[in-house]
Amino acid sequence: MSAPAEVLAVRGLTKRFPGVLALDDVTFTVRPGEVHALVGENGAGKSTLIKVLTGVYQPDQGELRYRGEPAVFGTPLRAQQAGISTIYQEVNLVPLMSVARNLYLGREPRTRLGLIDFGRMHREAERVLGDYGVRVDVRQPLRHLGVGAQQMVALARAVSVNARVVIMDEPTSSLEPREVETLFGVIRRLREQDIAVVYVSHRMEELYAVCDTVTVLRDGRHVHTGPLAETDRLTLVSLMLGRPLGEVGRQTTATPAGDHDGEPVLHAEGLTRPHQLRDVSLRIHPGEVLGLGGLLGSGRSETAKAIAGALPVTGGSVTVAGISVRTGSTPAAIRAGISLLPEDRKAEGIVPGLSVRENIALAALPRLSRFGLVHEARVDAVVETFMKRLRIKASSPHQKVGELSGGNQQKVLLARWLAMHPKVLLLDDPTRGIDVGAKAEVQKLIDELAEQGLGVLLISSDVEELISGSDRVVVLKDGAVVAELSGDDVTEDRLMRAIAAPTTAPDDTSPTIPTSPTSAEEAAVHGH
Amino acid sequence: MKPIAPIRRTSTRAVIVAGLVASLTLATGCAKSEDDDTDTPTTPQAEASQVVSTPSVGSGETCTIDAYGGKKIDLANATVGFSQSEKEANPFRIAETASIKAEAKSRGVKLLTANAQSQFSKQISDVQDLISKGADVLVIAPLNSDGWDPVLRQASAKKIPIVTIDRQINATACKDYVSFIGSDFTEQGRRAADQMIEATGGKGKVAILLGSPGNNVTTQRTKGFKDQLKAKAPDLEVVFEQTGEFTREKGQSVTEQLIQSKPDITGIYAENDEMGLGAVNALKGAGKKAGDVKIVTIDGTRNAVQGIVDGWIEGVVESNPRFGPLAFQTLDSFTKGEEVHQNIIIQDSEYTADNAEADLGKAY
Amino acid sequence: MATDVVPRRGVPADRAQLVQWMQEYGVYLGVTVLLLFNVAFTDHFLSTENFRTQAVQVAPVLIVALGMALVIGTEGVDLSVGSVMALSTSLLSLYLGYGPLAALLVALVGGAAVGLANGALVAFVGVQPIVATLALMVGVRGLALVLLPQLEDVHDPTMATLGSGDLVGIPYVVLIAVALALLVAFAVRRTTFGRQLLAVGDSRPAAQLAGLPVRRVLIVVYVCSGVLAAVAGFLATARLSASDPTSLGNLMELSAITAVVVGGTSLSGGRVRIGGTVAGAALIQLLNATLIKHNLSPSWTQIAQAAVIVVAVYAARERGRR
Repeated sequence: MSAPAEVLAVRGLTKRFPGVLALDDVTFTVRPGEVHALVGENGAGKSTLIKVLTGVYQPDQGELRYRGEPAVFGTPLRAQQAGISTIYQEVNLVPLMSVARNLYLGREPRTRLGLIDFGRMHREAERVLGDYGVRVDVRQPLRHLGVGAQQMVALARAVSVNARVVIMDEPTSSLEPREVETLFGVIRRLREQDIAVVYVSHRMEELYAVCDTVTVLRDGRHVHTGPLAETDRLTLVSLMLGRPLGEVGRQTTATPAGDHDGEPVLHAEGLTRPHQLRDVSLRIHPGEVLGLGGLLGSGRSETAKAIAGALPVTGGSVTVAGISVRTGSTPAAIRAGISLLPEDRKAEGIVPGLSVRENIALAALPRLSRFGLVHEARVDAVVETFMKRLRIKASSPHQKVGELSGGNQQKVLLARWLAMHPKVLLLDDPTRGIDVGAKAEVQKLIDELAEQGLGVLLISSDVEELISGSDRVVVLKDGAVVAELSGDDVTEDRLMRAIAAPTTAPDDTSPTIPTSPTSAEEAAVHGH
Repeated sequence: MKPIAPIRRTSTRAVIVAGLVASLTLATGCAKSEDDDTDTPTTPQAEASQVVSTPSVGSGETCTIDAYGGKKIDLANATVGFSQSEKEANPFRIAETASIKAEAKSRGVKLLTANAQSQFSKQISDVQDLISKGADVLVIAPLNSDGWDPVLRQASAKKIPIVTIDRQINATACKDYVSFIGSDFTEQGRRAADQMIEATGGKGKVAILLGSPGNNVTTQRTKGFKDQLKAKAPDLEVVFEQTGEFTREKGQSVTEQLIQSKPDITGIYAENDEMGLGAVNALKGAGKKAGDVKIVTIDGTRNAVQGIVDGWIEGVVESNPRFGPLAFQTLDSFTKGEEVHQNIIIQDSEYTADNAEADLGKAY
Repeated sequence: MATDVVPRRGVPADRAQLVQWMQEYGVYLGVTVLLLFNVAFTDHFLSTENFRTQAVQVAPVLIVALGMALVIGTEGVDLSVGSVMALSTSLLSLYLGYGPLAALLVALVGGAAVGLANGALVAFVGVQPIVATLALMVGVRGLALVLLPQLEDVHDPTMATLGSGDLVGIPYVVLIAVALALLVAFAVRRTTFGRQLLAVGDSRPAAQLAGLPVRRVLIVVYVCSGVLAAVAGFLATARLSASDPTSLGNLMELSAITAVVVGGTSLSGGRVRIGGTVAGAALIQLLNATLIKHNLSPSWTQIAQAAVIVVAVYAARERGRR
């Protein structure tokens, strides 16, 4: 049998959902040994296409061919068994099982008695994960690992299941630069083994670093397919957005830091929480964007949550505009004017089953009610204002938030908080997993909000975003503040140096030997 | 994952406990029920007339202390242990325990009692307890028929005579235990059928409110009733059989459905009084008058007999709970060395319009 | 709603749509089918009296199911409802000497207290709802029996009127049930509490981070369930004209959960369908009535109920997978 020119192909694919034509006559082919970038804005149809390829959805029209044969994958499992593996943005493993069990789930090495050979499983798991730069105790539950390390486990699992096609949906969104490099190494190895990779990402650098071919979707239609080398960035972006590039640009310079000397709007002092935060202090002035830098697991999200009252602290205080706020109470923090956009948008941010309207009004409900009855007209007014102002794209205010794209979900959350007229906005990776256009919009919104006098705390896994979006950057490491960059020092280079610099804390250990039980992700990052 | 402050836990738990305790005291502290100011008769006056037995009914096999093993004692100086199966929460159990206690008192016998609260494991340990506390003879109202081996082994080692009342146990009479004293549920069904035949003139359509499914009382009361109908009144047709689970509520709701779909029903046979009273409620609710539908029930509780007086119920076959006199008489004879029957059927009387008013005091 | 592609009502095209359609409207279909069957095959079915009987019998189940729907909307479950009915009837009997209104108040306070305990266990101590309410289910039934060890007749004329009387032909019991259904539906749709309840049920972490009073919502929900169960116990007592804590409310939790789930409220929370719950309760009632009226053996009644529960749970599972 001669190798087919294409391993996986769809032609004339159409998929409808109530009220939405998600894919309209799309053609998409992948050849063995090819790294194929799949890009497009929100609602372009990337997710739907992937779900059709992996058997989650069945096409309404069009043909799916796999290894030269017409194929029907009734379920994701069947697609996986046929050799199509998928790594999703959100890690899809069993958090309570050990790392090794997750890696070998359903195909554990057996002893002669048919029992699981734990010894062999653990040894092999360590070896396999080592190839991915993950050095952890494979016996501990998966959930003790950081998101990045979990993703590596998911990748290792997917690749080792005899895959012919590996689909990666935003694989780097929670990875650190070093992990990204490891991932690219893995992708190159897959290419050598003639395995096809479908690579979905919003990060241009990554696309140009590893992809051979690119397919652009827009509004459910196929727009372009061609070798990536022949498509420059400018062209690619304009293909994705379908409009002249000028509109996408944003002010890269943040407000000058000089006018932030007065009374801080937020003052957090000595926040402490065992194993997670050590005496973290920071202040944000009105109109200032304070970046919170650091590696995954450095305590960035924990700091934000502690300020927002969502994480109880054993020590420390939070003051908003000079008034002390009770810690450990979300309602108290919200009343004081603190709003948090959590990192895990789907689990902790949106209420997926409720409509856009209810989600926006959720926090402000008591204000929009009289005698416990919701004042519908006032809710409508608020919802309309913010849907317009934040350009939220939904078929109507009554559409379920769970059906929206990531960017629009994030905007809905922003709307929810802006409706509360907050003084301080804590944004934990607000542009994670949203496409270029929406990302630029959100970034622009953040600048606008700061200009209106809000204090903004910005956390981002995208170093460039953090640097260009922040007036000042506080750098965390192992749950403690290790540096503060301001003025001309706010550069990527300085940030990296601050993170890489050996810490002075007496109880700290060499970064290559993880001993702290909370720094599993650190281990993943610093591992050999 | 849930950010719940652990600091508050203890206080919360304390609050809950305190709340429950407070509510309990509150609930009982100043209660005032309907009956508090009207005084209703609480104890039946004349029960002596109920104790006559008909030992000749059923199996004629007998037992003596020589056959059983053990030595003669004088019951007057003995300690009697009584193990009740269920909580005294219904008239039958209340009357049963009261009867045992009253008889022990009148004979001047020392009585030890225990109640298994419907838990079989507790009944087993109850009986073992009674033995270790020095009971010379045992009266047991068993919760189950099976599972008695460990206790019986222990009792027979000490040659303690056992009489079981109201339910039988699966073991050998005159070896594992002496006698069983109880009602003949099939006979009760037959007598209910006789009453139904008399009330309806032997013609018409009858409904049966069955007891709890899978219960031998239900099975036997149904069998007796149907057999007698077949034999004596073939024109009396059973057109409806549904369970009322021995409760008034179910009896009521099932009867409500019944009189909707079969308005021409002649009689209702309820396998216990409670369901019969539920049926009365349903008939009243549907605008029927007393006597429109003939109701016959089994048990003989005061409420049901009052129902006869009021004209809603035609007849009640008694299921006699007063085992005290018969049980003690049996044990007395046995320990003296006399012959006693292995199966003793207690005599059940019955109530009809003729005697209900006069005998209301005898109902339990 | 849909802008360009409007899904056709009534004729579901593919399987997924069929399943969804069944989830939304299956319960109404079931009720219709049973009604038609009975009209065709059951004697004397089409009479006012018959519908009155069915409505009166379903009222207590429906009232309990309303509370259950709220609890299930928060991704919980309340197994203690049957025991609360028993407690309610015990308290009624004990306090009827002060008059029916006072006795009702005491019963409602009792129901609220049990709900408070449930809610506190779930919201503060973090006990799983099924475990917390199971504990209360056992304990409260015991308490009810301690308070009133055996069946006690109720002679109060007001109670009797309430149990069997009517207003322009509609029994009081049914009127009360309808009023409560409307009240609960209103609370879910129009009040802040209703919105917060749905948010808590759909995503508790998100609700917490949005500053919602999650614990308060949970406690109020369980208190509502307890109070509604106490009302149901009150009405059942009035109808029976007796307090019978040994049997009142037995297996009520199952009937209520079935009504709610059959009615299309997902066990995974975030959704409360009051109309569906009413129809679900009606479906169970009609099913029972059909089997009894046709004099099928009691074992068949149990099997049929089990079948309905299985179908409902299957539907719930499909719902959960979306």
